Amino acid sequence: MSTVEQTPPTPGSGGPPSAPAPREHGSGAVTGVAWTVLPYVASVVLAFLVGGLLIQAMGYSAVDALEAVLTSSFDSRFGMVETLHKWVPIVLCAYAFAIPLATGKFNIGAEGQLLLGATGGAAIGITFSDLPAILLLPAMLVAGVLAGALWAGIAAVLLVRFRVNEVLSTVLLNFVSFRLIDWVATSVWPDAGAGHPATTPVGDGARLPLIGEAPGLHSGVLLVLALAVFIAVGMRFTPTGFEMRAVGDNPRASLINGVKTSRLAGAGLVIGGGAAGLAGAIDVAGVQGRMLEGMQSNFLILGIIVGLMARGSMLALPFIAFGIAVLEFGAGTMQLVASVPVEMVLVIEALILLFLLLSDIVRNRLRGAA
Amino acid sequence: MSEFLTLVVPMWVVFTLAAQGTILSGRTGVFNVTQEGVMALGASVGFVVAYKMGSNLGGLLIAFAVGALVGLILTVMTTQLRLDQFVVGLALFFAATGAAGLLYREVIGVTMTPPKIDTLTKHEIPLLSDIPVIGEPLFRQDYVFFFVVLLSVGLYWFMQRTGAGLNFRSVGENPKAADSLGINVNLARTWSTIVGSGLVAVAGAYFPLHFTGIYTDGMIAGRGWLVIALAFLGGWRPLYVVAGAAFFAGMDVLGQKAQVIGLGVPHQFIEMLPYVATLLVMVFAFRWARQPAHLGSNYDRESRLAG
Repeated sequence: MSTVEQTPPTPGSGGPPSAPAPREHGSGAVTGVAWTVLPYVASVVLAFLVGGLLIQAMGYSAVDALEAVLTSSFDSRFGMVETLHKWVPIVLCAYAFAIPLATGKFNIGAEGQLLLGATGGAAIGITFSDLPAILLLPAMLVAGVLAGALWAGIAAVLLVRFRVNEVLSTVLLNFVSFRLIDWVATSVWPDAGAGHPATTPVGDGARLPLIGEAPGLHSGVLLVLALAVFIAVGMRFTPTGFEMRAVGDNPRASLINGVKTSRLAGAGLVIGGGAAGLAGAIDVAGVQGRMLEGMQSNFLILGIIVGLMARGSMLALPFIAFGIAVLEFGAGTMQLVASVPVEMVLVIEALILLFLLLSDIVRNRLRGAA
Repeated sequence: MSEFLTLVVPMWVVFTLAAQGTILSGRTGVFNVTQEGVMALGASVGFVVAYKMGSNLGGLLIAFAVGALVGLILTVMTTQLRLDQFVVGLALFFAATGAAGLLYREVIGVTMTPPKIDTLTKHEIPLLSDIPVIGEPLFRQDYVFFFVVLLSVGLYWFMQRTGAGLNFRSVGENPKAADSLGINVNLARTWSTIVGSGLVAVAGAYFPLHFTGIYTDGMIAGRGWLVIALAFLGGWRPLYVVAGAAFFAGMDVLGQKAQVIGLGVPHQFIEMLPYVATLLVMVFAFRWARQPAHLGSNYDRESRLAG
């Protein structure tokens, strides 16, 4: 039996879907940008059109619903702060998906990695609650990153050492993590008064300082902003970033040229896990003040959607994540104002993704005809 | 023991049904990852139809049709348009998950106590059901159980014992060679994905129609992903899947009964059992079990590359 047969299936025949479409015909920079941006605009418009028709068909007012989805983030300071607070875990979970994807691996475990990161952060924040913020806060965030990386590391070891498909291992670890944090929240540091499985609050030194008048924006947003710049530069200009992209584009050529492909794939998963772990720790330090069950929300799905939409561009990713954060905050308002169930927004987001995938074919046909 | 088996057998039905649906399309090279979403959608559709029409069979059939529709979208986007199977699968998983919740909320709304339907009635096979230990769990079951047994045997017969089955399997092993023999690759992929996805949805519908009588979000609880692991473990063969499903079902029931069992370990750790056991089993599955050579890759008959 050859080694090829034993390799877990790599989805698709032409490399990971993140590969940006090649620019053809030496067309100008303006046309290049237009070909890149146009599919996004068209997909969003089409998805909202279909979503609007669905809402109308269900007997609600599509105009009211979609207006609530799109504008509520910008209506008030509260809306913008909440949107940015949602943006942090979404963008980090998107990195958790997109960084391993650059090496051709699919991390579907951001949920579990986020929860482990939150648990790691909360563990430090509760145990050393008397320490001053200058020590406690960094220690807590580092603990979150390490816990997330360690959790993804299990999948990385299974992949590199035992060739276990990373899709399955990362997904299954999510379900293990739900039980683990349930145990932490009900037996290790339970807060009986919370009325919902949750740990006791972390010390005051473990809370991220707030910026501006109430409602304050937590400073984790700035941290993630800096990280976004760092990742965009790192993937584009460092040797490691180059190797990761090379492995994703052509694993065979990379291997022949001396890149340690499987180790790099494992490293991608671990780094991704660290990003998701940071999301958990920041959510504890900035928003929740404790680790609680269900805090992973639907950030896994949103991270994957953003990661796929970014198509390998670490520069575009934070912006797309912001767009999704706007939709997600708007979803709640939509349910209040137009009484459309929040799930509608998930359907719209999935439609945007599907139309974006289809746009490749349309674009290739158009270019072929031109 | 008999009591334990009585709990395991219905869960075996779920795992077997969904895994047979998965390997049916997998054998032609379509790597379906929509199970978790399609099972949730099947549960939602099955419940809503059974509740509104008062017919459980209607619920199962319409769940099948809706699952088939998802399979049709998947197969059109991957065989006709040649988009990445995994990415399209993920997008459809999200859409199906959203649609499942949306449908329930739209038809039933938010209620204090969830509406309940009558679960499927059990049928007894005379004489056989009187056998000690195994008689009660195996021969006093609802018709879905008997259907799954027949389906598994039928799939085994078709895939491993007929010429058409050999042709069918060749599509997933070497589509180019199959094409050159006059086998319609896209047609095989299309019907197998449609039927397979329909079966997955029926497995989802079995949750409200057999176990609970109610629909809740997240009631699939990762079993859709376990089904994919089961397909790998079973080497994409119908009979191995039947055996593997028994293992998965056993683990599932142990996990569910964690709080009753006790053992001095926090119950959360016993609840992890199905997932941890699967991870361990995967170590061996990926070392020894075979899989269709072209699983997950699209076929472009105009491409000059092999496959």
